[in-house]
Amino acid sequence: MSTPLIVLIVIVILIILMYNSLVAKKNQVDNIFAAVDTQLKKRYDLIPNLVASVSKYMEHEKSILNEVTKLRAEANRPNISNEHKMALDAKMSAALGSIMVAVENYPELKANKNVLHLQHSLNEVEAQIAAARRAYNQAVTDYNNALEQIPTNILATMMHYQPKKVFEIDKSERKNVNVKELFNT
Amino acid sequence: MKSISELTDFYYKTLYPVLQELEKEREAVKSRVIKLGISYLIIAAFIGVVILRYSNGEIDMFLFFCFAAFTLGAILYKYLVKGYKSTFKEKIIAPLIKELDENLEYLPKRHIDETYFTRSRLFTSRPDRVSGNDYIHGKIDGVPIQLSDFHAEKRHQDSKNNTSWTTMFQGLFIVSEFNKNFKGQTVVLPDRAQSTFGDLVGNWLQSNNFSRSELVKMDNPEFEKEFVVYSTDQVEARYILTHTLMQKLLHYQKQSKHPLYASFVGGNIYLAIAYNKDLFEASVFHSLLKYKIAMEYLKTLHLAVGVVKELNLNQKLWSKI
Repeated sequence: MSTPLIVLIVIVILIILMYNSLVAKKNQVDNIFAAVDTQLKKRYDLIPNLVASVSKYMEHEKSILNEVTKLRAEANRPNISNEHKMALDAKMSAALGSIMVAVENYPELKANKNVLHLQHSLNEVEAQIAAARRAYNQAVTDYNNALEQIPTNILATMMHYQPKKVFEIDKSERKNVNVKELFNT
Repeated sequence: MKSISELTDFYYKTLYPVLQELEKEREAVKSRVIKLGISYLIIAAFIGVVILRYSNGEIDMFLFFCFAAFTLGAILYKYLVKGYKSTFKEKIIAPLIKELDENLEYLPKRHIDETYFTRSRLFTSRPDRVSGNDYIHGKIDGVPIQLSDFHAEKRHQDSKNNTSWTTMFQGLFIVSEFNKNFKGQTVVLPDRAQSTFGDLVGNWLQSNNFSRSELVKMDNPEFEKEFVVYSTDQVEARYILTHTLMQKLLHYQKQSKHPLYASFVGGNIYLAIAYNKDLFEASVFHSLLKYKIAMEYLKTLHLAVGVVKELNLNQKLWSKI
């Protein structure tokens, strides 16, 4: 075999490997986004129940409750983009956070078993969402790195791959949830 | 569970009479070991010289004798200190463990079952021989825990049919219940590749480790430097290893000052600390009254049993309630 032929074969193999790794990275991002989405859905499913249990008591927080319901309705619309989902998630986290803080002002709510159970379920889902977000951000970082690094960047440009956005992780999320404070026992 | 200072108090106050008695026994055993040791050495040296003289320069016979004399000496030494060592465990370690937490049971001669070791997935191959001692089990704050000294070895056979043994792991092995529900397997190992070969090559080696599941890159640089994480599920690995748990594992490893292995399999957390020596053994050459020696026993014991509090395994806030 002549030398140019060998060089050609090696180059072709390298291109195939690079192409496959790019596709794998892109699919990993999509895969993990699906996991994030599942958890987000789980959280949206808890919302009607939550709103129903607390609205009787929460007179002053009606606007947040309305916002949460609106956000849920928006998230349930078909065909919304991933970026939109991410934005809705950020708003939802903030709104739910303020509801949970508000619950502290209502002794009837704090003693309510149903609310406690909901708080607990929300906590669990929040922890799952946080984990899924972190996994997603890592997958996106790997993907974005491949898009910028030599030599995969050349191939990525040819494949029209676009860099993706990571979830903005709230500072408060980096702290662990303190159960004692949450349940105020 | 008692704190380390409470434990130190107990050691020097309540156990003091026992310690003094034990100290007398130690002195006696030590002088016996030294006297017998010297006589043994003199006799052995004499026989050795005789053998060397009359074997016409054949070194094989002499070497064989040296080997036999050394083995016999070791057996003799073990026999001499055996009584002291078991008294130490019975009169010092056992009360210490009871004082630490009364829900704990101590069985000095038993060790953690081999199945736990294999089930932990911390080591990819099965050991051919296991041994251990100082089995402690019970409940701390309602969380079941068991731990022991554990030594796992692998057998090697060369072409001449000579068997040799290498150590896979020696140190503390701890099994406890984890406070979150999970389905997959997540393994945290000391990061050897990244610290030996640097980030680029090390990372590549880690992601191509075929005996392990998927590599999980963690978002805590300090943790990522010390450990490498493999898991069957990228999201679940992060659900288990929160920022807080990563910090706590780092802290735990710093306290133990030895390589730390951790895994999360089947609802349990498995921890292995490679001390590379048999722990909780008394030496006749060191006084138990010395602060440094005493603190080593107390600290190791407190660290091992303290894992439940240290890693917040007693906070069942998640789906396990």
